[in-house]
Amino acid sequence: MKTYGIIGKTCLFFGLTVLLSCQGDRDTLQMRYPGYFPEPEYTFGNNVLTSEGFDLGKKLFYDPILSKDSTVSCASCHAQEHAFADHGTALSVGVGGKMGSRNSPAIVNAAWQTSFMWDGGINHIEIMSFAPLTNEVEMAEDMNHIIQKLSRNDLYRSSFQAVFGKPKIESQQVFYALTQYMAMLISDDSKYDRVKQGKSAYNEEESAGYSLFIQKCATCHPEPLFTDYSFRNTGIGSKSNDTGRYKITLDDRDVYKFKVPSLRNVALTYPYMHDGSIRNLRSVLDYYSEGIRESDLLDPSLYKNGRPGIFLTEDEKDKLLSFLNTLTDFTFTTNPLFAE
Amino acid sequence: MKFNLLAIIALFISVLSFTSCTEDDEPKTLAAGEVSIEFDHVFGPNQLPFNLNTEYTHQRLGEKMTFSMFRYYVSNVRLKKTDGSWYTVPESYYIVDLGVNDGTHLHLENIPGGEYTDIEMMFGVDSLRNVSGAQTGALDPAKGMFWSWNSGYIMLKAEGTSPASSDGSFAFHLGGFKGEFAVPTVKAYSLGKLTVDGDREAEIHMVANTGRLWHEADGLAVRSTTHMPGAVAKQMTGTFYDGIVFDHIHN
Repeated sequence: MKTYGIIGKTCLFFGLTVLLSCQGDRDTLQMRYPGYFPEPEYTFGNNVLTSEGFDLGKKLFYDPILSKDSTVSCASCHAQEHAFADHGTALSVGVGGKMGSRNSPAIVNAAWQTSFMWDGGINHIEIMSFAPLTNEVEMAEDMNHIIQKLSRNDLYRSSFQAVFGKPKIESQQVFYALTQYMAMLISDDSKYDRVKQGKSAYNEEESAGYSLFIQKCATCHPEPLFTDYSFRNTGIGSKSNDTGRYKITLDDRDVYKFKVPSLRNVALTYPYMHDGSIRNLRSVLDYYSEGIRESDLLDPSLYKNGRPGIFLTEDEKDKLLSFLNTLTDFTFTTNPLFAE
Repeated sequence: MKFNLLAIIALFISVLSFTSCTEDDEPKTLAAGEVSIEFDHVFGPNQLPFNLNTEYTHQRLGEKMTFSMFRYYVSNVRLKKTDGSWYTVPESYYIVDLGVNDGTHLHLENIPGGEYTDIEMMFGVDSLRNVSGAQTGALDPAKGMFWSWNSGYIMLKAEGTSPASSDGSFAFHLGGFKGEFAVPTVKAYSLGKLTVDGDREAEIHMVANTGRLWHEADGLAVRSTTHMPGAVAKQMTGTFYDGIVFDHIHN
């Protein structure tokens, strides 16, 4: 119970809140995260976090009933063993074998995210799932039909009733439950974390890699969440007609910008970039070191001494990779609480 | 002493009667009731009665158009009392939908009894509710008036067919709540005197001209779809909202 970011049954621990939060026989849960994490962006608010709500959200996450022909679940493209990214596929496959146009992002520490999707088009975690549920090339279902299907199912009907205490299932409850599960997918037990907490130590190569990381990568991927949540043009996008952030803001300066992803569990989330166009981590480092070409809107932080690219020697790449591997959190990827 | 006592009794009686007089003169307390807002829809400068599945010719554009869907958000209704204070209707979000029975008729329930002189409403959905996660009621994303890929409410949807459009159809999904292209528009209307008193009818009639979406915008031959916030959404909703007027009340 100690490292998966949840303490159960807080009803037992709190005085007055116990009375309020235990209404309806629901056990409230609390988010737990290390002291060196910032305050999360999402703190549940009206969506009262309970173990029953979390369980219902998990059941929905793994259930293909949410897709049009009951073939695709959220977990189809967001697998726990890959830190809730897809199973090594560049572009995910939805209902009827339809192909998406971007790589499925990992779901890691989503409660800290300020926006969702590679272009940041979604502004709130509670309505994040609306897009994949209804997108033609993903789960291709209609919200009203999802609610009809869930309402016909005795188990779901009683679970929703128990969690939300309302006579009818509404979309808000589906979104709330999925959010309870996804916002609790907290990864904070990698080697990096254990070093941070004084429970472990880097070896020589990891330690050198960490120093290089701070020097060369941390502008966009700062600790402890390993992203600054900004949108940047790394030059990858300019090869395609996907204009990224521009589609949302319609600001010319945002053409080909995509969200900086967190690097937590990065070793497990291959292939890389918004289009899954780079197959392994070493190739990503090669790209940043030698592959970036001059272009108008390239992010300024990718220029060093007036030239595009962050040059790395092969030895530096080895060290960086060693450090990046310390961001893998097997406690997270094997936590039975998150599993189907 | 006796005189004094009598005087006190007399005074007491006169105070009592004065008090009861005042009660008689004051208007009796009015009971809370429903205010309904009926949106009547017309098309074009000739104010033709507007219905779905009926062909109209847009006078300025000279284009024929037949609508299969016309929906828009109205929100944040406030009513001004005769004393100048405002009553804000709680959770005040509605979809005017010409495609459903009674869909052009907003029912504002449990409005405090009294007399009202003005109404204020927002066309569109305020920015706060565009960024506040999963909502219910008229704001439920399952209503089909929310963009999944670019969070925010579709504040107006107009779809149909037209021989002027290159593919024979048109679809305008207009919205946006940020910056210069923010669509939501607050308008206030003077009502005269609307009395709310229990079951007594209190109905406000508004008139909206659907043709005004193209009051300034390019015709369907140039643009037959818009599915995003931006300049087009701002212009089309702007001229449409501008043309929504108060017509009369039933008391």
